[in-house]
Amino acid sequence: MKNKIIWICLLMSTFLVAQEKFSVSGTIKDQKNGETLFGATVYLKGTTNGAITNEYGFFSLTAKKGTYTLVVSFLGYENITKEITLDVDQTINFEIKEASTSLETVVIEAEESERLNIRKPQMSVSKLNAATIKQMPVVLGEVDIIKSIQLLPGVTSGGEGTAGFNVRGGAADQNLVLLDEAIIYNTSHFFGFFSVFNADAIKDIKLYKGDIPAKFGGRVSSVLDVRQKDGNSKNFEVNGGVGLISSRLALEGPMFNKKGSFLVAGRTSYAHLFMPLIEEIKDDKISFYDLNLKTNYEINENNRIYLSGYFGRDVFDLSQFIQNRYGNTSANLRWNHIFSEKLFSNLSLIYSKYNYELVLDFIKLDWVSDIQNFNIKYDLRYYTSDKLKLDFGVSGISYNFNPGEIKPSDPTSTINARQLDKKRAFEGGVYVSAEHELTDKLSAQYGLRLSTFNRLGGQILSDYANDLPVVYNSEIGIYEEGEEIGTTDYGRSESIKTFANLEPRLGLSYQLNDDSSVKASFTRTVQYLHLLSNTSSVTPLDVWAPSGKYIQPQKSNQYAAGYYRNFKDKTYSLEVEAYYKNVDNRIDYIDGSDLIGTNNIETEILNGEARAYGLEILFRKSKGKFTGWFAYTLSKSEQRALGGNVGGPGINNGDWYNTPFDRTHDISVTGNYELNEKWKFGVNFIYQTGRPVTYPDGQYQYEGLSIASFDARNANRLPAYHRLDFSATFTPTKNKNRRWQSEWVFGVYNAYARRNAASVSFVQDFDTGENEARRISVFGSFIPSITYNFKF
Amino acid sequence: MKNNIKLATILAIFITFISCDDKIDVEVPEASPRLVIEASLDWEKGTLGNDQTIKLSTSTSFFENTLNTSVIGAMVKVTNNDTNAVFNFVDQNDGTYTVNNFVPVLNGSYTLEVVYDGEVYLATENLTPITGINEVFQSLEGGFDEELLDVNITYNDPAPLGNFYMIRMQEVGDLFPIIETRSDEFTNGNVQEEFFEKEDDDEDPTEQFNPGDEVNIKLYGISERYYNFITLLIEQYDSAGNPFATTPAEIRGNCINTTNAANYAFGYFRVTEFDQVDYIFQ
Repeated sequence: MKNKIIWICLLMSTFLVAQEKFSVSGTIKDQKNGETLFGATVYLKGTTNGAITNEYGFFSLTAKKGTYTLVVSFLGYENITKEITLDVDQTINFEIKEASTSLETVVIEAEESERLNIRKPQMSVSKLNAATIKQMPVVLGEVDIIKSIQLLPGVTSGGEGTAGFNVRGGAADQNLVLLDEAIIYNTSHFFGFFSVFNADAIKDIKLYKGDIPAKFGGRVSSVLDVRQKDGNSKNFEVNGGVGLISSRLALEGPMFNKKGSFLVAGRTSYAHLFMPLIEEIKDDKISFYDLNLKTNYEINENNRIYLSGYFGRDVFDLSQFIQNRYGNTSANLRWNHIFSEKLFSNLSLIYSKYNYELVLDFIKLDWVSDIQNFNIKYDLRYYTSDKLKLDFGVSGISYNFNPGEIKPSDPTSTINARQLDKKRAFEGGVYVSAEHELTDKLSAQYGLRLSTFNRLGGQILSDYANDLPVVYNSEIGIYEEGEEIGTTDYGRSESIKTFANLEPRLGLSYQLNDDSSVKASFTRTVQYLHLLSNTSSVTPLDVWAPSGKYIQPQKSNQYAAGYYRNFKDKTYSLEVEAYYKNVDNRIDYIDGSDLIGTNNIETEILNGEARAYGLEILFRKSKGKFTGWFAYTLSKSEQRALGGNVGGPGINNGDWYNTPFDRTHDISVTGNYELNEKWKFGVNFIYQTGRPVTYPDGQYQYEGLSIASFDARNANRLPAYHRLDFSATFTPTKNKNRRWQSEWVFGVYNAYARRNAASVSFVQDFDTGENEARRISVFGSFIPSITYNFKF
Repeated sequence: MKNNIKLATILAIFITFISCDDKIDVEVPEASPRLVIEASLDWEKGTLGNDQTIKLSTSTSFFENTLNTSVIGAMVKVTNNDTNAVFNFVDQNDGTYTVNNFVPVLNGSYTLEVVYDGEVYLATENLTPITGINEVFQSLEGGFDEELLDVNITYNDPAPLGNFYMIRMQEVGDLFPIIETRSDEFTNGNVQEEFFEKEDDDEDPTEQFNPGDEVNIKLYGISERYYNFITLLIEQYDSAGNPFATTPAEIRGNCINTTNAANYAFGYFRVTEFDQVDYIFQ
């Protein structure tokens, strides 16, 4: 039925085109460095006819024959107006200039000209550009994209030193994180202290918390779309910075006779350079680094090729004890082709890999695991008419999983070599999506994605008595491994299991007046990969597992509604959104499950479900000397796993329990104040309800030890998390009129030295035998920082 | 200059390991007391194994320090399921129940019955054999820190897969033992090695192993189900609350309350063979 409606809409809209209309299309770039601009607005003055540039700076708009004033605008840039006569399809490219008076600099970039922001059916999205992110106070001066999005409503994390982020009560593995379209499996360095994204190489980021467009698929919670800069196509430019933890250097400039450009950015921590000088730690090595590459070549007006790459590593070697290395690798070759003023296309060939290596010297064990994928994607956008735009495309992802290979690290080791079963899968997607202005006031975005997943053979799977990998021991009341009764060998050309799902997406926007609107959306998403993690925080060691015979794909429905309003000539804006979502087939782990080195993961899990709901308020000021926002989220996130056909009550007695990412209250305040040309100040304040944890409800003596007993999962909470950060940026006046530009950034993180509990452990004091609660705080005091940035 | 470099480095390392740890007051929930059955029938290699003790107590609130929890007046007996021999344990009125005529049989099946407060608790377990400790020695290399002494034992794992071990090390004078468990999942059929090392403590160098220190190491053969139980118990004992540890959960032993299933008992009925060795550091 739903399909029918969409097709009828599509057909109707094609009839509407039958008047005499013409299109104007082109690309919008920054005049200074030639970077294409994503999200700039082009509209015909005095009409409601407008368009927004896509990721590649391309726009196309269609109107009736006539003479118009075309306006190009982008927050932080000067407007351009141009008289045009639409009597033939035409291409006009624009280069726009950054607003010159620095006081006018707009810190928070709204999605587009506010007029259209209010109108557009897309909701639950936040876009930040690199300049905004760089102004926020950060820990130790390391600019961090992942931390900056945590200041938005509905986005939280497990606190300092925990990897990943949580969107609307979802798990970290439910976020699709893309760097130039390549899947990034691990978003952090140093176990979560720093993000893998080097802000010098990033143009902008877009986070979809809901209302995910049909072109994205594969994760149920959110999409974080990170785009690298193309590189300055006008002049050679060097950006760099020296901080306490790492140093950065980015080179960019024109290539191919200004027909293209390149960007090479590197970042590395450097403590390891000094470590050999200190006797106690001379054999240790702790470092991270990453390298970003991008180049593009404009073959002609209608064809452009991009190549981008990323390589990052963490090295964590403690001599004689542990050697740990991990990181992401990705590459993407893209071809933009403009078929006509109305049809834009992009073909991408993408590779990404995450690998993890661990050597434990003390037990002489060598562990390697990885996941890699090849992805081919073809996306098209057809600017059908001034009222209708169509997006459609296909994608195919081929995955290879190596969940773990165990080897003895030297000949005296007692470890036997072992390879956990490697897995293969193919994920396909086809989508069509429309952005449709139904009336002057009502717009819709509706689409449908068909996703398929084929778990490919080439491995042996265990068979279990009664087909139950987990059984309930009703005598003792625990879940245990099922009885293995044999195995099935699946050939490489066989399919172990296939899935196909339709994912409808719908967004509606109704404009109440020039300054306010209401929107609503429904998003169905399906996720075929699962990150196996039974700890409160994800760790770099966690392994991805595909859906298959024993693991079902996660399916989520999200319903959201919101109210949007601009005040005072768009100086202030208010966004209020409410959402409810549920996730079917969220896997849950039986008590005492052991995931590391476990081949038959199905014996450790039950099929569960999750639900989350909340209210988000974002109030921001985006013009003037003082800019910033206040964000508040009231939310709930729970999960449960019933026994089902396994029997028994389920995990946690089958009751709903808080997920580790449940935060009742989450307040973020961030502000920037530009005092004068020399000094800029930034401030963050964050308050979050404590993370749900399980506290002991008693103790007993066993083997001479005091053993804690526990009851319901995650029924208690850590103390609330809050902190205040400051930053000050000093730009020397001698910068004026010279090529070398520099700035000093001073920061204080956790200004009032709160000891936020990363965890509370319940332990027995070895000297007295008494039980006590011990708080572990990652930062026990305030953390100052200083960074020097330069550009020439 | 060198000092500056050192400072920068320390700062960087500090960042990674900056965490600080302090004692805080926390309100915890309080569950009603349960019976705790510590029924460990351990048969030392080369002995008759006639003398056995079972301890009964009750659980308390987590921060309770006066542990007057002995259970007196219970009926405790163990039956050999193969021979139907019954061993009645005698109440010593201090929470322990003893016999001096127990007959251990390798791989024999035993059932424990405890009657307390009108409720009957039952558990069944097989006596798991063990090959024994091959050797014990001290070393500097191996272990976490090559400057610290550690004590090692080796033992043989039999060829079939599925052997499980518990190793309990206690230094003379220490209040608490260190317990480790091992499965042969990754090391089947090999000579197994286990080391114990104590962390160094600059303030108190007697914390670590020093020449003259005396330790006792016991190696138990255990059943797979007991391995799952005790491994989880020790893991939670060592790391409850650590964000990288699994969510702690109630650990259920094998003692079933047949009168009122919801009122299950903590603890375990285990029947093992063990080997032990004393070692004095040189």
